[in-house]
Amino acid sequence: MTLFSKGAERTVDTFPAPRGDGETATEQAAALIQLRGVNKHFGPLHVLKDIDLDVAEGEVVVVIGPSGSGKSTLCRAINRLETVDSGTIELGGVPLAVEGKSLASHRADVGMVFQSFNLFAHMTVLENVTLGPIRVRKVPPAKARAQAMELLERVGVGQQAPKLPAQLSGGQQQRVAIARSLAMQPRVLLFDEPTSALDPEMVNEVLDVMTDLAQEGMTMVVVTHEMGFARKAADRVVFMADGAIVEQASPAEFFDNPRTSRAQDFLSKVLSH
Amino acid sequence: MKTQSIAFSLILLGSLALTGCGGTAPAAAPKVEKQTFESGTTMDKLATAGTIRIGTKFDQPGYGLKGLDGKPEGFDVEIGKIIAAKLGIAADKIEWVETPSKVREESIIQGKVDMITATYVVTDERRERVGFGGPYYMAGSDLMVKADNTAITGPESFKSGGLKVCAGVGSIDGDKLKPHLADPTNQLVEFDVLSKCEDALRTGQVDAMTAGDSILNGLAATNKDTYKVIGKPFFVQPYGVGMTKGDTKFCEFVNKTLKDAAADGSYERAWKETAGKDIDKVAQLPEPAPCA
Amino acid sequence: MDVILDNFDLFWQGWLRTIQICFFALLGAVPLGILLAAARVSPVPSLRTLAGGWVTVLMSCPLTVVLFFMAFGLPEIGIKGSYFWFGTIGLALYSASFVCEALRSGINAVPTGQAEAARSIGLSFMPSLGLVILPQALRSSLPPLTNAIIYLIKNSAIVGAFGVGHDLFAVADTLTAARGLAALPVLAGVIAGYLLLVLPIGRLLSLIETKVAILR
Repeated sequence: MTLFSKGAERTVDTFPAPRGDGETATEQAAALIQLRGVNKHFGPLHVLKDIDLDVAEGEVVVVIGPSGSGKSTLCRAINRLETVDSGTIELGGVPLAVEGKSLASHRADVGMVFQSFNLFAHMTVLENVTLGPIRVRKVPPAKARAQAMELLERVGVGQQAPKLPAQLSGGQQQRVAIARSLAMQPRVLLFDEPTSALDPEMVNEVLDVMTDLAQEGMTMVVVTHEMGFARKAADRVVFMADGAIVEQASPAEFFDNPRTSRAQDFLSKVLSH
Repeated sequence: MKTQSIAFSLILLGSLALTGCGGTAPAAAPKVEKQTFESGTTMDKLATAGTIRIGTKFDQPGYGLKGLDGKPEGFDVEIGKIIAAKLGIAADKIEWVETPSKVREESIIQGKVDMITATYVVTDERRERVGFGGPYYMAGSDLMVKADNTAITGPESFKSGGLKVCAGVGSIDGDKLKPHLADPTNQLVEFDVLSKCEDALRTGQVDAMTAGDSILNGLAATNKDTYKVIGKPFFVQPYGVGMTKGDTKFCEFVNKTLKDAAADGSYERAWKETAGKDIDKVAQLPEPAPCA
Repeated sequence: MDVILDNFDLFWQGWLRTIQICFFALLGAVPLGILLAAARVSPVPSLRTLAGGWVTVLMSCPLTVVLFFMAFGLPEIGIKGSYFWFGTIGLALYSASFVCEALRSGINAVPTGQAEAARSIGLSFMPSLGLVILPQALRSSLPPLTNAIIYLIKNSAIVGAFGVGHDLFAVADTLTAARGLAALPVLAGVIAGYLLLVLPIGRLLSLIETKVAILR
């Protein structure tokens, strides 16, 4: 059994038919995540404009775009860390609950990796990873610890298990955060700019772990500025600007032949240096 | 010093049925005579100054209660006026200083007052720090209960525990009742002013309250159907005139003044118009204690 | 010094009574304060409003008014009880609002990412609060919490004045007013008694503070 099993053991019942408006090939797989007509405002600011998005089981979707384009908000909305004003968000065909126990169980199934790691500062690395399995999944503590150690070894921070987060480097902390998400055996992992707060020399150790995950078939939604990762690991690139999805295509197609002027403009700026 | 809501105390005081005492008309002013005294004595000093500072209570109905006109009224106040008059000082030249129980000794020692008439009970402990003229009245510590109460017949009724009694905090009545109580900590409830004790008795929070008998008689007289006084004083309290320790000449002057007042009827008139207004008890000037 | 030694038993009894008041008041104030703080940061708007209103009213109400209500208001509407419990419960209710605000300031000092991470692994509100937020909030809450506890101890003297009595401060009344002893040495004894209560507690709490210090 691989620890990075993407929750394939879970049976997913019915999926709505993919939209037939000529999107990419991956659309043919069943949609694990489905967003329809999602809108959100921050005061007068319209940060998400009529977002429709499907993410298939096992698909890696990388969301890019200029800052302020709404990509982080989109990522957080999937986990309901941000509420939305209208539209529907479904996971495996089940609409996202508004609050309470069913929302908590939805979140347990959706892993989240933050820009600022957000490891529990008062707990050791090991405790960070075992908290969810023990408290939410009701895994016996000894078993949870064994699984957590395997995960920590896998992301290369097994030695750090007894330490407090503050004693680790940023790259190590982010790998612990990934292990913490994986310990819940989520159906999908969300990454909200996971390398933006890292010193440059630590970016790759985190991206390597993410690439491995992508290759093992984990369903992932990654908001990032790392174009190299997008080109290498993504099944599909979603380009956002001003709160709307402007363009989406396979990485090769998007990076080599961007269709919209917004995307061309963006790429010329980020790839020029 | 104990923190208290002064406003509430005043409201309670006002709302209580203490009107018999609070509404006392001022007694006829004692006759003021110009006097000369042996030089160097307290009397000479005060008579020459033409003014005197007298400490009294401002919250003790019948003895010293500050009215709406800002001037205290009561038996203590009248005794003060009688003594001042003999020094040639008119009532309007008296400066009344509020002296609650716990600051009386300090007020004398620190020279904040020239003398004190403030239901000031003479005790040996107090005699170590201050002097006393008089006594001018023998009060008794007594108990008051609700009119229909038959469980309490005297201090011995508290021996079995359970029954609660209320007293002024730091009052001599409460302190002297303690040996009669099975469990003083739980049986003795203390409040900063007696009006709160009366409130506690009225609402049934306590079964009895203790204070000087004339205070209780005053309360019972104005609330005849509500309260009754047991009438078995368990401690006799001589009210004295507080003064600087060792001032023998002033003490003797006070004693003579009191004796004259008893003889010419001004003592009895003062009583009748204040603390003795609604009760049968007639004040008798007690034998004076030796001054030296 | 003689005054204190001669009346040591009275001081001792008063000290024990003060400890008794403080102990029971703390026993009520701390759990109630935690509950109020939880309600104030809860996702349920009506709970937040209710707890916020409670805290606002009790924090802006002088303690004497709260105690006056307990000692004289309740008997007036037919609720009878011992003044000890009226006073101690009044002090607990009053102090709980300060405990709540101390905790809430600590909760606000915990980065929001901690709560988001807790929610992201599927913890619902109460476990997030109990396992992730409060343990971290406690650290920055400790100084204001220490203050709240010390205020509670000092406020026990006010409770004493509402029919509870026989506490450390009431000893001063008995000795000065009823027995006519000099005020200064008596007050010195009273101050010493409160110091003996407040100092070890302040010391203990600062010890805990260093123990729960979290690396960031």
